[in-house]
Amino acid sequence: MGTRVGEAALLLKGIEKRFGLVTAVRGLDLAVAQGEFVTLLGPSGCGKSTTLGLIAGFFPPDAGEIYLGGRHVENLPPFARDIGVVFQDYALFPHMTVAQNVAFGLKMRRVDRAEINARVEEALDLVKLGGLGSRRPLQLSGGQRQRVALARALVVRPTVLLLDEPLSNLDLKLREEMRAEIAALQRRLAITTVFVTHDQGEALAMSDRIAVMNAGAIEQIGRPTEIYERPATRFVADFIGRTNVMPATVGAAGSTQVSLVTVQGATIEVATAHSLATGARALLAVRPERATLATAPVADALSLRAEVTQILYLGASREIHLTLDDGPAVIVDLANDGREPPIEIGDRVWFVAAPASCLVLPA
Amino acid sequence: MSLARRAAGPWRALRWTVAVIYLFMFGPILITAAVSFNASNRSQFPPQGFSLRWWGNALSEEWLEPVLFSLQLAGATAALCVLLGAPLAFILTRQRFRGREVLVALTLGPLMLPALVTGVGLLQFFQYMGLRDYIGFPSLLAGHVVISLPFAVRTIAISLHGLPPNLELAAMSLGAGRARALWEIVVPLAKSGIIAGAVFAFVHSFTDVNLSIFLAAPGQIPVTVKIMGFLEFGFAPTLAAVSVITLIVPLTVVGIMQWLFGLGDFIYGDARG
Repeated sequence: MGTRVGEAALLLKGIEKRFGLVTAVRGLDLAVAQGEFVTLLGPSGCGKSTTLGLIAGFFPPDAGEIYLGGRHVENLPPFARDIGVVFQDYALFPHMTVAQNVAFGLKMRRVDRAEINARVEEALDLVKLGGLGSRRPLQLSGGQRQRVALARALVVRPTVLLLDEPLSNLDLKLREEMRAEIAALQRRLAITTVFVTHDQGEALAMSDRIAVMNAGAIEQIGRPTEIYERPATRFVADFIGRTNVMPATVGAAGSTQVSLVTVQGATIEVATAHSLATGARALLAVRPERATLATAPVADALSLRAEVTQILYLGASREIHLTLDDGPAVIVDLANDGREPPIEIGDRVWFVAAPASCLVLPA
Repeated sequence: MSLARRAAGPWRALRWTVAVIYLFMFGPILITAAVSFNASNRSQFPPQGFSLRWWGNALSEEWLEPVLFSLQLAGATAALCVLLGAPLAFILTRQRFRGREVLVALTLGPLMLPALVTGVGLLQFFQYMGLRDYIGFPSLLAGHVVISLPFAVRTIAISLHGLPPNLELAAMSLGAGRARALWEIVVPLAKSGIIAGAVFAFVHSFTDVNLSIFLAAPGQIPVTVKIMGFLEFGFAPTLAAVSVITLIVPLTVVGIMQWLFGLGDFIYGDARG
């Protein structure tokens, strides 16, 4: 990234972590700016939680450097790092009241009694739990516990807030509510945040930037729109949303434009940042909502013959499953515009995607 | 209806089984208690007449001294077992390290070994190492800690197993040092296990005779050993009264702890606290 120490609130340089024979994180570089919300996104076992643990100081890295607020911290224990952590299972102290839980970090910092009380109250109000300070964690609902954990981490005004899949134990409705709330709170407090999740919806909705992780390394990092609209690899394209992928060969390659030959011999001109050699194998990717169906081929667009195999009604949209002639199975999402599309299983149709909707991925 | 009737058979059998078990458990105790009130010189049941003179004997200096000695010994054993057992249990549940298996074997080994063997071994150890002067309370304390520690460690380990390690990490992320996190979070949450461990160690020590018989010294005799010695002269009704006393002491300790801390969950095997 070329970011120097001091510019970033959090900086990881060349971080390596092995557990026995397993390399959990390999050569990871990450810079998080002051006030930025960065999400580490990836499947389980990709190293995202390990990375969070390394930032928190729960275990030391085998190699690399970590800077927090310009301070060199990879050799410091968690209690010397000035962090706030929200755990997946909240890790509230069950023998303490809500107020005592929130006060814990301030007590450890020897803040005086009166200020503790004021700040605890303020923090509980912030997460809309005012008046519940005397409850025990076990008397609270899952969503309320989540808020206590958040208040407990925020009240110490940490350099960086670390969130380890904090929403995964909530039911869908509450999860959507909390993700909007946490995102709003983070913007309001402008607190530097690293969020770990395997849920791409949360990542897209909440983040300033997303780092997609795979096998211990960052596969791609960028703003949510970049990650979604211009995935750099097949892994990213598959992991964030769904993607129809078909094999292709590079016809003629320009500097920003490439001509691809795909199934059924169809040719399409696609913009690309990848440098590809003529004759090289590549992948052509089209998001289901960016494709459509037609009864005849469309000029200047990718048009492929296909047969309808399944129609799923999802309310907001219809998911049409197709099999391309001499090609893979693909999906088209048709937004619900109030009319029923005149398609039935077994129909012969054209799968159509405009050049702007087509992506080239390295094979 | 027919389902309920079919179920009644096994239930009735279970009830009878429980009743018989209770009879075998409490019958001898009740008979012993009854015998201690005999008016005659012989231990007999049903008791002849009613007298408190055996209780007078039992509550005399001769018997109160060993009871008090046993109390002190059991108290010290319980305290030491907690001081050693809590860190041991913590290390064994939380850490993976070389030699862990050896430590487990050393800690829990005495469970497999007859206390008699430990007793003989300790006696020889104290004699041959020139520690003869320490036979008595110090040797008894050492022996009782060895045989009671497994109970304390096991009980405390169970309570620690139920604690998510994330709690300590959360405390540390909030600025608590390792020791502070243990003291503020782990110890309070493992409290009932620690106290149950102490109670088990206390009871185990108080009721031990196998080991104590080798390590007692004149004037430093646990009540169980004293009872064994007294039995050589036959079962006098005094012994019945003493037996009841030695039964009441640990029961009272368990009762007080139960009342103060609510150990029911541990004593009856539900470790969730």
